[in-house]
Amino acid sequence: MRRALAALLLAAATRRAPAQHLLVPMDDAQQNHLKAYGLTYNALHAGAKGEWLLNYRGGSFLLPDTPELRRRAALDGITTEPVGDAALGAVRTEMAGGNMEAVPLERAPKIAIYTPPYASPWDDAVTMALNYAGIPYDTVWDDGVLRGDLAKYDWLHLFHEDFTGQLGRFYIAYRGAPWFADQERANLEAARAHGFSNIPALKKAVAERVRRYVENGGFLFAMCGATETLELAIAGANVDIAVSYADGTPIAPDADERMDWSRTFAFRDAHLETAELISSMSDIDGHQANVPGRRQPLGAFTLFAFSAKFDPVASMLVQDHRTVIPDFYGVTTSFSRRTLKPGVTILAEEPGAPWVKYIHGDYGKGSWTFLGGHDPEDPQHAIGNPPTDLSLHPNSPGYRLILNNVLFPAAKRKPLKT
Amino acid sequence: MRRLRSALRLSVLALALAGAGAGAARAQDADPLARAEALEEQQQWRAAGAAYRDALAKEPGSLGALLGLERVYDQLGARDSLMPYVDRALRLEPRDTGLRTLQLRTARYVGGRGAVRAAFESWRRAAPGDAAPYRAYARMLLAEGDAAAADTILAEAAATTGDARNFAYETAMLQAARGQWVAAAAAWREAATDRPYFAQAAVYSLTPAPVAQRDGVRRALAAPPAAAGARSVLASLELAWGDPRRGWEALRVLPPDSLRATVWRDFAQRAEAADAWLVARDALVAAATPTLDGPLFADAARDALRGGDARGADSIAALSASVMDSASAAALAVPVRVEALSVLGRGRDAERVAAAYAPYAAPEQRAAMARWVAWAWVRAGDLSRARASLEASGEDAGDAAGWFALYEGDLAAARRALAPERARSADELMAVAILGRTTKDRSTATGAAFLALARGDSAAAARQFALAAAELPDAAPLLLAQSARLEAARGDDRAAIAIWQRIVEQMPQSPEAPASDLAWARALRRSHQDAAAVARLEHLILNYPDSALLPQARRELDAARRAGASTS
Repeated sequence: MRRALAALLLAAATRRAPAQHLLVPMDDAQQNHLKAYGLTYNALHAGAKGEWLLNYRGGSFLLPDTPELRRRAALDGITTEPVGDAALGAVRTEMAGGNMEAVPLERAPKIAIYTPPYASPWDDAVTMALNYAGIPYDTVWDDGVLRGDLAKYDWLHLFHEDFTGQLGRFYIAYRGAPWFADQERANLEAARAHGFSNIPALKKAVAERVRRYVENGGFLFAMCGATETLELAIAGANVDIAVSYADGTPIAPDADERMDWSRTFAFRDAHLETAELISSMSDIDGHQANVPGRRQPLGAFTLFAFSAKFDPVASMLVQDHRTVIPDFYGVTTSFSRRTLKPGVTILAEEPGAPWVKYIHGDYGKGSWTFLGGHDPEDPQHAIGNPPTDLSLHPNSPGYRLILNNVLFPAAKRKPLKT
Repeated sequence: MRRLRSALRLSVLALALAGAGAGAARAQDADPLARAEALEEQQQWRAAGAAYRDALAKEPGSLGALLGLERVYDQLGARDSLMPYVDRALRLEPRDTGLRTLQLRTARYVGGRGAVRAAFESWRRAAPGDAAPYRAYARMLLAEGDAAAADTILAEAAATTGDARNFAYETAMLQAARGQWVAAAAAWREAATDRPYFAQAAVYSLTPAPVAQRDGVRRALAAPPAAAGARSVLASLELAWGDPRRGWEALRVLPPDSLRATVWRDFAQRAEAADAWLVARDALVAAATPTLDGPLFADAARDALRGGDARGADSIAALSASVMDSASAAALAVPVRVEALSVLGRGRDAERVAAAYAPYAAPEQRAAMARWVAWAWVRAGDLSRARASLEASGEDAGDAAGWFALYEGDLAAARRALAPERARSADELMAVAILGRTTKDRSTATGAAFLALARGDSAAAARQFALAAAELPDAAPLLLAQSARLEAARGDDRAAIAIWQRIVEQMPQSPEAPASDLAWARALRRSHQDAAAVARLEHLILNYPDSALLPQARRELDAARRAGASTS
């Protein structure tokens, strides 16, 4: 009733006077959810201020009503609604009475994607999402990370990289494939250029730089295999955790006992997979998609509803027009509950399953978010498959989770209410 | 009395049938395997399982019963319970390939990799020197994506059996799984040469080869001496990769043997399915030539016509008719030839051929040929001969009367005669659209434009449609859009853009305006003017927010922006 009244006021206001704000609804009224993030990001990038209306109509955005924003929205097929002061007042009244909160968006974060310079036979969902939404980003790889380039960025994304340096254990099935040989050569050259004897040593050093980046205030978002292997590389900084075809020696027999989980972001007490011909890193991944006999079927995961007023960060990360989303495989699909550290915030889980899908936490001055799986719109994505055409999925609830992460560093942090 | 006898006969028959049914049921009772299969058919899994076990109690080595039990246990989630039965059967027949393969499959479910390896070792010991255990185990590893382990097994196999050719199929699968496409093609060549039934698997395996690797695949499969199996694989690959002409080139050089004509005919069918009509024409002509196969020549002529080669269709159909009796020729070859002559505008020849075979043709074929003769005269530009020809044949003119009226500029008569619901081709749809859009009853230029189209003169048609816009102002945007389409199809984007610009700027409210914007943007992208194309697409999206073209325009806008960004 209250929402209907607000809509009525909104319509009346738009008839009478030019609006001062553009509401970008993010519920089912939105024609293109993914590009709406691009519209908001680019408005901030151009110096405008905005608001993220958490839990209001699917996590809508409020932007200034300018001809340029209207034009861009029209070109990209993004639904916007002009809102005058009176209508906005009604919206705010409605928000004040419910689990909703307006978070100011002040500055477009500077984005880096960790991506190798060679072509890989798989695609990065975040890169595709940013390209589709029209959000600019830089790319960094090992040279840049070791040079200290991460300090230039507010937000870092890691995708498919194996930070244990075992090249995803793709040696098992693809050791003769030209793309695998290219990857091995490029990584070995990078290792030697930086004075490391093998790839695992190089990747551990990179993982340590990433850890320090977050500790110093950076925002980290990782997906798929990067989540699990980053943690293993950090915990195993002083342990041989790589199989013999990666570094010439087998995994240390006492590796499990020697892992230092005190330095990791999310996980603890994981058990390393020491069998060299099993395509799995550890028992962190609940689904074990690449291990015949262990592979678990896909279900659906449910997003948690957080208090927008008291827990705005977690709320931002789960803004979506759907709360139940079909699961999707990846090298690391999910995270075993058993291996989660006590302080980790679970953002999404499969109810009743021994794994969770989407987690978040603070670390030092920064924060991290991990999402399992490879491509939200291609649940069985396999090596060599063509990339997903996001213009066919403009309302993807799974891809929205990725873009929530891109925008949340733009939010002005409020002191918590006590 | 007769009725009584008949009823008696029926009841005897019914008794006999009932007796037969009871007999079958008794036989089923006696045969537990048949009972198990019937129960499985009814999805009574537990009962079927019990019956299969009964069958195995009677005959422990029965592979049929074991396979049935495997299916049923799979449904019940109890595949591990199969192992004791397999083991017992193997004690009786330790070298049986079917039983051993079943043991491998079961081991995979029961004990994973270690158990499979143990089953393989046991098979290898039971059948020393036999290729089968290596082959089955390597295939299983490949199916699981473990190419490295499969490689090891195949190397062991070659060393143990002393003949690597025995494993050409598995080696080919292995190389393809690793992305070593050229090596895979070489292995498939060997496999398909020895066993032609592998050709399908080879095509399936090699189709994903990336473009950069395809020349290597081609060289491997086409290496001399030309082998029918390998060439057939290459031809199918070329079809799958979108180059039917190269596919035919691969097959054309096959040495003459009994297989060659069959391979060519099969390939022609697949080329037809891919709409590669002229390639199919060449393959059919080649297949038909050695035995002068008239019907096959007629098929080739039809494909030539579909592929736009009317001249070729005429000569092939003439050859086809010359090697068949008159009735067969009238049914198969002559209609194609008359249609080809019609397309060529050779009215006199079409009339002569149709008349010569008319006595042998069925009525519907005669009617079709009469219409083609009339259209031949239309294409020759002689409307009065076209009318006369149809009248002389006594056949139903159908829509022809409406078209003749249209060609003469009599829009009112054309409107009455041309039925919109029968319009199928692009020209027919355009004609009924124009007739529906204008209220005018005459337009010489419109008639001339359609006549030029019928004669295949698209340059004149484009000019005439542009002139017709002045005669029919209420249909001007439609006529101009048609003119622009023809100019673009002729490759004259400059002329087309000038017309689209006129529509967008001078007739912005017309339904053709957003479509013209889109076509204009596409022409700009063809000439790599991405920034200008972006401007056009933005104009379309912002000015026609309700147009059905918007989703497509937005996709093309994204593509144009990306292309612009990558070249700037």
